[in-house]
Amino acid sequence: MSARATATPPPATVDKTAGGIEAAAGIETIAARLLTWGTRLALGFVLVGVVGMFLAGVDPTDAAQPGYSVTAIPGQLLALQPEGFLWAGLTFAVVLPLGRVVVSGAGFLGAGDRRLALVSVLVLLVIGASVVAALGLGR
Amino acid sequence: MIAALVLLAGGAAAGVFGSLLGLGGGILIVPLLTLGFGLPLREAVAVSLVSVIVTSSASAGVYLQRHVANLRLGMVLELFSALGALIGGLVAFLLSEQALAGLFAALLVWVGVSMLRRRDDAPAMAAIAPGPGTSVTPSLIVPEPAGRPFIDTLSGPGYRVHSLPLGVTGSLFAGLVSALLGVGGGIVKVPTMHLLMGVPLKVATATSNMMIGITATSSAVIYLLRGQLDPFVGGPTALGVFAGAMVGTRIAHRIDARILRWLFVIVLAYTAIQMAQKALGL
Repeated sequence: MSARATATPPPATVDKTAGGIEAAAGIETIAARLLTWGTRLALGFVLVGVVGMFLAGVDPTDAAQPGYSVTAIPGQLLALQPEGFLWAGLTFAVVLPLGRVVVSGAGFLGAGDRRLALVSVLVLLVIGASVVAALGLGR
Repeated sequence: MIAALVLLAGGAAAGVFGSLLGLGGGILIVPLLTLGFGLPLREAVAVSLVSVIVTSSASAGVYLQRHVANLRLGMVLELFSALGALIGGLVAFLLSEQALAGLFAALLVWVGVSMLRRRDDAPAMAAIAPGPGTSVTPSLIVPEPAGRPFIDTLSGPGYRVHSLPLGVTGSLFAGLVSALLGVGGGIVKVPTMHLLMGVPLKVATATSNMMIGITATSSAVIYLLRGQLDPFVGGPTALGVFAGAMVGTRIAHRIDARILRWLFVIVLAYTAIQMAQKALGL
């Protein structure tokens, strides 16, 4: 089946103009940098949190699971609590792919591709629905 | 403290194995946490999802930088994988631990059989970095000409995407599996894109890796907001998986993939039996 795929010529309508390719490269590069640096930042927070766990002698199998509250994270960070750094890193890691969708969506919109811009919005809406569903279930 | 080190090492082992064999670490993290640490399955799934997101983001960054992933196709399909993950994330809270364990055992058998049937020695899904020299034309973010079929705008240089409905169905299923069992879902996405939609393997692998982030995020937020993620377990594990995946991609060329595959199949078979016993309450 893959042989069929490679033997089939690309559609004649695909726009490979210099402008289109340049725009694509630009958006992909921005999204790539966001993911790369975002992952480093998230892992940096997690690493500090894990080191903090070691220093505080926290045993993951025995320690009570700290509750999750976005609003509490800044205070935990200021208090240099390991769970603050862990929550910050893990939360940032979870939302990072959304940044890629936002950047790509803006890029599609800027390039005049409304269909893909709409797809980006729909992806964000699905994630929003997940949040609403989770909060609803939590009650 | 020793438990944290074991989590770190276990995550690293899962990351190394996963990247060498072209799988995400999730397939190993969940059994490690449930069978090794006695964690409830849903908590293990939550930790696994976060680990999967971290490795996916890192690898997607590289793939996008090298213009290997098909961003347009990936964004369309991830809409449906995210939808599947939303459904899966909600269903996961309705199923019993035993039912989830049974599903996971079935997944392990499926992955094991897929491993045995795979003929090429190269990992199908390098976890962090694609091979060198794979940089191609960017994935065509272009203005939409009037009247152009949507599916044509998703094709890439040298290949034409077809059978979009099959891709949509596969993505929905991948999202469901990902959310229920804490895996990336690449085991479904890559064959769907490559075998059913005509996407070259390297592009399918890169695009799947990129999609995994959003797929896993869709369900991870449910687990996170419902208090199923333990940061003291998730932190060391995610860090270990990421480090392991990085090491795995660097040593991949020195390892005999056939021996490793057989070893992995044995591990999968043993884990599947353990999970099946858990499912049956034995």
